[in-house]
Amino acid sequence: MLGRGVKRKWSCLEEAEVVSEARQLVLGLCLEKLQRYQAGVELSLRRSVLLINTLRQIQEEMRSDGVGSCDVHPDSCLLRDDFREDVTVTCPGCSEGESPPELPSQEANGSDQQKPPAAVSDAVNAMGYLGDLALDDIFEDIDTSMYETSDLPSAWASGSLPQSHSTAGSLQSCLMDLNELDHIMEILVVETHLVGPGLQNGFSL
Amino acid sequence: MGEDTDATPTLNHRGFLPDHNYVTEADIISTVEFNHTGELLATGDKGGRVVIFQREPESKTEPFSQGEYNVYSTFQSHEPEFDYLKSLEIEEKINKIRWLPQQNAAHFLLSTNDKTIKLWKVSERDKRPEGYNLKDEEGRIKDISTVTSLQVPVLKPMDLMVEVSPRRVFANAHTYHVNSISVNSDYETYMSADDLRINLWHLDITDRSFNIVDIKPVNMEDLTEVITAAEFHPHHCNLFVYSSSKGTLRLCDMREAALCDKHSKLFEEPEDPSARSFFSEIISSVSDVKFSHSGRYLLTRDYLTAKVWDLNMESKPLETYQVHDYLRSKLCSLYENDCIFDKFECAWNGSDSVIMTGAYNNFFRMFDRNTKRDVTLEASRESSKPRAVLKPRRVCAAGGKRRKDDISVDSLDFTKKILHTAWHPTENIIAIAATNNLYIFQDKLNSEMH
Repeated sequence: MLGRGVKRKWSCLEEAEVVSEARQLVLGLCLEKLQRYQAGVELSLRRSVLLINTLRQIQEEMRSDGVGSCDVHPDSCLLRDDFREDVTVTCPGCSEGESPPELPSQEANGSDQQKPPAAVSDAVNAMGYLGDLALDDIFEDIDTSMYETSDLPSAWASGSLPQSHSTAGSLQSCLMDLNELDHIMEILVVETHLVGPGLQNGFSL
Repeated sequence: MGEDTDATPTLNHRGFLPDHNYVTEADIISTVEFNHTGELLATGDKGGRVVIFQREPESKTEPFSQGEYNVYSTFQSHEPEFDYLKSLEIEEKINKIRWLPQQNAAHFLLSTNDKTIKLWKVSERDKRPEGYNLKDEEGRIKDISTVTSLQVPVLKPMDLMVEVSPRRVFANAHTYHVNSISVNSDYETYMSADDLRINLWHLDITDRSFNIVDIKPVNMEDLTEVITAAEFHPHHCNLFVYSSSKGTLRLCDMREAALCDKHSKLFEEPEDPSARSFFSEIISSVSDVKFSHSGRYLLTRDYLTAKVWDLNMESKPLETYQVHDYLRSKLCSLYENDCIFDKFECAWNGSDSVIMTGAYNNFFRMFDRNTKRDVTLEASRESSKPRAVLKPRRVCAAGGKRRKDDISVDSLDFTKKILHTAWHPTENIIAIAATNNLYIFQDKLNSEMH
């Protein structure tokens, strides 16, 4: 979200996006290749090891870049299951084969969307939830006098982000307001969760 | 280098009609190897067969047909097997062939698939005994009453027959896929290497081998590196080298310990941080390692380069040759279509002055270490009429300045890969395997090594 502070250079953003996209592509390919498996033919150990190492490298990079939640476990279970020496005799399809191939696909789906930071997503969800209720009833005790100079609260109450407006107020003040709105939004979300659905009135900031 | 190579007639490995573009999987050549004199050339294929070619002796009457290679013998070396414990098929594809130095009239070679190594005896029979007392000419037992006198059987000449028989089968010693075999200079032992282990065998003993390298971690989930190739030193029977998927080479001395897990020397080039990408590790994986004939240098091949290392310098290679650097910007697509995992072999010429390796589009490359000149040649029917001189080829970057006959990177055929090449031990004769076709080129103008 836009916030106070330094505006990032466009080229940095662009580069980061490209790298991130490339990373996602290679990650997807890695998983696809690890899953691909020809019945009755032994996988090349060299190929599997190289794929898993690449996967680990990407995970490391993603972790260190702070893109949190794509925790795809490297398919080392592929190594374990296929290449155990003292193999206990099991019929194909029993025990070993079931979960490892499944895991990557689930997690791959999960990692396909770039997950936004947790607080924002919760807020977005909450906003959607709140939008259905009669907001005016909930907030009738709130002193909204400091927001009367702009039409931001109404936009906010209707569940959408403030649109750009042509009031004389500078962009700077608008940004500051938005920042405080975020803050309030978070508190409201928290309070709402605490209060629970069904209670229409009865709290103040 | 004065590269003017003549093309001897293309030897179609399996006799397919030239105008049919039909390749059976089983006929794909998977290994090529000259014997120690260069008189014989062996190829192995995906179907488990071995074909041996023999060089015709030079004839004074027909000077231009001197030294051509013709089929000498064909035999089925390995058959597909089934591993019942793992429910997996064991491919019959011949991964490597290595000749033993000739010690008597017969020739011996080792051939291996993923799991089993076999020793074959190749011998000629050009005489047969005739005049047995108890058997007639067809081999039927004679009626004793018809035998009135004794005769001594004599050897009479017959049409040359080449007999191949399996002399040893070295089995059940490898859990993982065998990628290399190498005969020791003591002519008594050899080693076989799989992804995680190297075993030492005595040529006469098949029921046991000694494990000399084991890089298998206790927990397979900790595995990050595999063995990709291994070779004995050509003169020092205690030394051998093995390469890894992380781009390292390890020289080991068998005198130091029974298990050579600790290397004597580790050859590794420090990574260039500016060139780092997702694929850095994959392209650094060494696909082949060969000692020079002198024993002083090592030649390695990774995905984009060939490197010459001095045994006395572990920190970095002596020379680096770019085989197809134009692929560097295409690594993602090559990763996608799996080509990035292709394993190219490399070869020295007899005097260690030129190195050779294959590439895509049926191209192969030669680098002269002294003059620093290099050439790209193509192994294809169209460009290899008999007695034709091979035309050097050039690949230009997409959109770059293009000369006539240049090929653009984007039009390269990645299904036509030259993974296996071999160089005659003493002469300028090379064998190139292009999918199911074998090409033999001779440099008639410069037949002596420089």
